[in-house]
Amino acid sequence: MKTSYLFSILLFIPVLIIQTTIVPLISIAQVIPDLILILLVYYSITEGQIYGTVLGFVYGFAFDLVTGSLLGSTMIAKTVAGFVAGYFSSENKIDIYLMFFNFGMIVFLAALVDQIIFSFFSAFDISSNIFLIFFQNAFLPAFYTALLSMIIIIFAPKKRIL
Amino acid sequence: MLRFLNSFWFNFKEYIILSVLVIFSLFIISQNHSPAVQKVRAIAFGTFASVTSVVSDIFNIKSLKKENEQLRETNAKLMLQLSKLREAAIVNDELKEMLSLKDTSGFPLISASVVSKSFSRVQGTITLNVGSSDSVKVGMPVITDKGLVGIIYSVSSNYSIARTLQNVDLKITVKDERTRENGLMKWNGEKLVIINVPKTYQIKKGDRIVTSELSSLVPFPIPVGVAAENSNVETGIFNEIQVIPFVDFAKVENVFVLKTVASKEIDELELNFLKKFQ
Repeated sequence: MKTSYLFSILLFIPVLIIQTTIVPLISIAQVIPDLILILLVYYSITEGQIYGTVLGFVYGFAFDLVTGSLLGSTMIAKTVAGFVAGYFSSENKIDIYLMFFNFGMIVFLAALVDQIIFSFFSAFDISSNIFLIFFQNAFLPAFYTALLSMIIIIFAPKKRIL
Repeated sequence: MLRFLNSFWFNFKEYIILSVLVIFSLFIISQNHSPAVQKVRAIAFGTFASVTSVVSDIFNIKSLKKENEQLRETNAKLMLQLSKLREAAIVNDELKEMLSLKDTSGFPLISASVVSKSFSRVQGTITLNVGSSDSVKVGMPVITDKGLVGIIYSVSSNYSIARTLQNVDLKITVKDERTRENGLMKWNGEKLVIINVPKTYQIKKGDRIVTSELSSLVPFPIPVGVAAENSNVETGIFNEIQVIPFVDFAKVENVFVLKTVASKEIDELELNFLKKFQ
């Protein structure tokens, strides 16, 4: 268990570098996919809900520290997202949940939760159109992340190798 | 009791862990401005930025050719403008001398590259490869040849983080270049807007918006964008005006840090003035 935590945290570093340097290059109208969330959902499904929750907390903390966003905002969002994704961590259904479309749907759900919480704690102007803000800040990035996750999961190992 | 606690933990451990971590996160949010947190953050992003700068450089090489062509074109245009401005500068200097005005232009620029970006739609930040060792300080404006990008928010020895205009926590006083009317501009999570604009103001679509001398962050006019839509709020006496920024924040790669921070002397003077009348 401890080794797997160590490996998932080590894997986080290159993903974070890609997220902050290369991923902005594939943004569409400032909507960018969240690679860190895809990794988090993968671990939540394969390793369980508690693992996903704790890992979300660690990922969020590291992300907040190095990017300059409000410290704690990504932490809380990723913690809850890891918890939500952890509901799909049934021991004998892992292969089903890691299938192309299913994995995309789980990522979409977790990303939606993640982005809504993050937007809430980022204190945007409440007088603006709240539905439009949630559509732009939560739905679109979640959809893009889910699409990308479907491509990534084709190449990801189906057993607990990562 | 111990048995009850044991069974409680066994049945609800996922929720207990979630609750503890969420509460801890909320505590961290409340501690954002403490010096200790700022110090840890400066060390963390400084270390991380040294790694990302290598990756960023590799990808920047590809775009250099295109940027070079654009720069050549800009250079030619600037050369033409420069000859006009030289004439104007001579007249300006003479007039200033006659009026005994101080020269406020000529701030030194620190060249920097963007090593990483965080583009959440509400908290836009960029990490630059210059830091306190290059004399960068918190509060310095970040600009490109097109206009204002943001303000330096956190500094380590070799790197710094700047909040872009697409950050809800950054508010800047701007003015209409044509009408000279001032207003407070901010990112509302969706667009850049000048808020609480009296309906009597004459700001029109297409007017150039620049930073105001009233700003405590940017001490002299830097182009920001053009006025777009006027929200025409039916009730109340204020409007909101949308601003389209000159700078494309998603594509910005090379910037300059303006080596100036709002004058402490001016701040103290204004504070004393206010105290006098309280």
